[in-house]
Amino acid sequence: MMPGTFHIKKGRDIPLKGAAEKKIIDLPLPRTVAVQPPDFKGIRPRLCVREGDIVEAGTIVFRDKDNPVLQVAAPVAGTVQAIQRGPKRVLEAVIINVAQKQHARKGKKASKTALDRLTSDEVIHLLLKTGLWPLIRQRPFSCVPPPNKKPKNIFIKAMNTEPLAPDMDLILDEKQSEFYAGLKVLAKLCDNTLHVCLSTASQSKALLEAEDVVLSKFSGPHPAGNVSTHIHHLAPLGKGETAWYVDAQDVARIGSFFLTGQFPHEKVIAVTGEQASKCYYARTTVGAPMKALLEQEDALDVRYLSGNVLTGQDVGYEGYVHFYDTQVTVLPLGGERELLGWLRWGKNKFTFSKTFASAFDAPKKVSLDTALQGGLRAIVQNNVYDHLVPLDIMVYFLIRAILVRDWEEAEALGLLECDPEDFALCSFACPSKTDVVGIIRQGLEDLSREHAA
Amino acid sequence: MTTIKDKLSPLFEAVDTFIRTPGATAPSAPYVRDHVDLKRVMVIVVIALFPCLFMGIYNVGYQVLQFQNLPTTFSGCMGIGANVVLPIMLVTYLFGGFWEVLFAVVRRKRISEGFLVTGMLFTLAMPPAIELWQVAVGISFGVIFGKEIFGGTGRNIFNPALTGRAFMFFSYPIQFSGSDSYAAIDGFTQATPLSILGDAGYGGQAVEALHQAGYSWSQAFIGLIPGSIGETSTLACLLGLFLLLITRVASWRIVLACFLGFTGASLAVMALQRPESMTYFSLPPHWHWVIGSFAYGCIFMTTDPVSSPATNTGRWIYGITIGTVIVLIRVFNPAFTDGVLLSIIFMNAFSPLIDHFVVQQHIKQRTQRNLACAAAK
Repeated sequence: MMPGTFHIKKGRDIPLKGAAEKKIIDLPLPRTVAVQPPDFKGIRPRLCVREGDIVEAGTIVFRDKDNPVLQVAAPVAGTVQAIQRGPKRVLEAVIINVAQKQHARKGKKASKTALDRLTSDEVIHLLLKTGLWPLIRQRPFSCVPPPNKKPKNIFIKAMNTEPLAPDMDLILDEKQSEFYAGLKVLAKLCDNTLHVCLSTASQSKALLEAEDVVLSKFSGPHPAGNVSTHIHHLAPLGKGETAWYVDAQDVARIGSFFLTGQFPHEKVIAVTGEQASKCYYARTTVGAPMKALLEQEDALDVRYLSGNVLTGQDVGYEGYVHFYDTQVTVLPLGGERELLGWLRWGKNKFTFSKTFASAFDAPKKVSLDTALQGGLRAIVQNNVYDHLVPLDIMVYFLIRAILVRDWEEAEALGLLECDPEDFALCSFACPSKTDVVGIIRQGLEDLSREHAA
Repeated sequence: MTTIKDKLSPLFEAVDTFIRTPGATAPSAPYVRDHVDLKRVMVIVVIALFPCLFMGIYNVGYQVLQFQNLPTTFSGCMGIGANVVLPIMLVTYLFGGFWEVLFAVVRRKRISEGFLVTGMLFTLAMPPAIELWQVAVGISFGVIFGKEIFGGTGRNIFNPALTGRAFMFFSYPIQFSGSDSYAAIDGFTQATPLSILGDAGYGGQAVEALHQAGYSWSQAFIGLIPGSIGETSTLACLLGLFLLLITRVASWRIVLACFLGFTGASLAVMALQRPESMTYFSLPPHWHWVIGSFAYGCIFMTTDPVSSPATNTGRWIYGITIGTVIVLIRVFNPAFTDGVLLSIIFMNAFSPLIDHFVVQQHIKQRTQRNLACAAAK
């Protein structure tokens, strides 16, 4: 099918230094891995293992309290080393000491023709049983979807536009057959269209030759690669409708499971950022520790993010890569205080605004640290956000509706079409340093509770 | 027990971050942030006001020397002007700053840089002959009732500098409309272009009346006419506008809309002119642009992002209405010498309403689109 092409105009790229070299390096099994329950929105975890238990790859670690079919598995065999809890005893991580001898689990291998014969119910059953189901997420709310409600469409995110984001072509091209198997399986879950969203720059054979899907190409600055952008342009959701989405690499992992019967614990993660001593693509295990990916010692003036600079989490050197992240970023901490900074010409001060000289230079790669670059103030400039969100959203009025907890208005203004990640650029650019992302996240959490009640 | 230092922490924070940039790092994603902050934005507005301040100081001295039939040297003009303007500015910042700090300390909130702009805008909107105690009263009213009672910068409905000036305009009308108020010297009387036109009666030609009074267009454009300190020079205002637009600090939509509304309305008034109409009717737009505080108000006051609409459609409506209302007040109600201040403050009150209607329209379109999507399924 001829791909539809969409040119996204709103948004901006942040041209950071520290992109990964386009070479995938196989890493040995890490000594520990973590399964981190807060990654899985929509699942209230009930633990199924205790410290000291021996787990296999695919053993269920925890399941949802309300809907026990939603469960999450250990990616590799080993021993449960620790169960970490945060404030109010919230389950934060299950650390698994990885067994150095991983034996292949007996699983059903499926031939390509056998895949065709699978029914939708069998696919759902298998994905739920093995704990692979959470690779699928749902809009609204970006949560793990309940399996009993069919989505309007499924979207495959096969492009990344975040700063320093991994290149999908590199990851997918060596997984072509697995990717196609995954698409075949996912197509059974949805009566409507399976959308694959890729970049206009993509040369990937795996993507361009995919069959029985609708290919849509997107170009333009970030957030052209965000799922909300794709849904908004291809098939916006009406009231009560849901869409599912899966990252393209995870499609290949699902496919690999159906082809080999083995739990697909491997994942390619880009190691990026100015402070990373080596920027590369690492083939490692889901939930790997940060230090296994980084070829450097811990340093005080460095921040270690799982994910990209816009949506990642600061996990520290001892932390673990989060479940859905395909990238880690290492940044200088920053925060040095500069004399009369507000009066500087600003040749090296990167900004979306035009208030520093750098804005009038030719675009070049920039280095940014994690400084807030100012103090928290009430919103004064109300025209910064609208150029940054390619959805039909009035950002300023949406966050106002959320702050006064007017859910009816917030929903009418399109809160359900959004994810906090869509507003990362607004948080970035706000001169008053408003936490737009946090406001949207809180709004979505509260609204999902309203909906549940 | 809270120490004095704790209580005054907003003041310390303000001074500290004024000298050196704050050292805070991003507490949550996104972990990199734009270098722009509110200080930078506000400082750019203040810098954009410098040409007006400079021309204002010069012109205040120029008017005095002109009246005394003394040679108008540059240093002479600047010296006399600075003597008049700087005390007004000092009193404005002293009293405005005092209230700002007091409210911040009581509320335990940070001091917002907005008062730097408010102080400058207010100073430049003062007639040079104003008494300093009146300045103190005016800025106090503006800061307290224009801003602080609503919660401070960013939460106000009216532009605080305008609120203060409006308060003074109605409290001390002599100082704001008398012909002796626009030069800082005893015995000075010279009617401003606006008051000449206001008193011009019926059936005459406005431009002729201005020429007779000794005003030329270029003189008015450069700003060598009596008037409030910073608002006489259209040229200086345009220099400020240039900075505001290339840095994208001000909304070009509002400025353009206000200009178009104003020009359109003055053309319409000209078209309505009959032989028996007021002389004011015959004033062409290019004269309207350069007299009174149109340029100053349109460039610096309407573009205040807090008191103007936050939707693009709203900005057009807001700007066009302000421009139109200025002409209506000028021509049809010359008792108020200049309509600029009044029409901006009037539309400040309406900007939330304008936004409300634009947002409701947006919601309606969204709902219809969602229904269409559902129907297509």
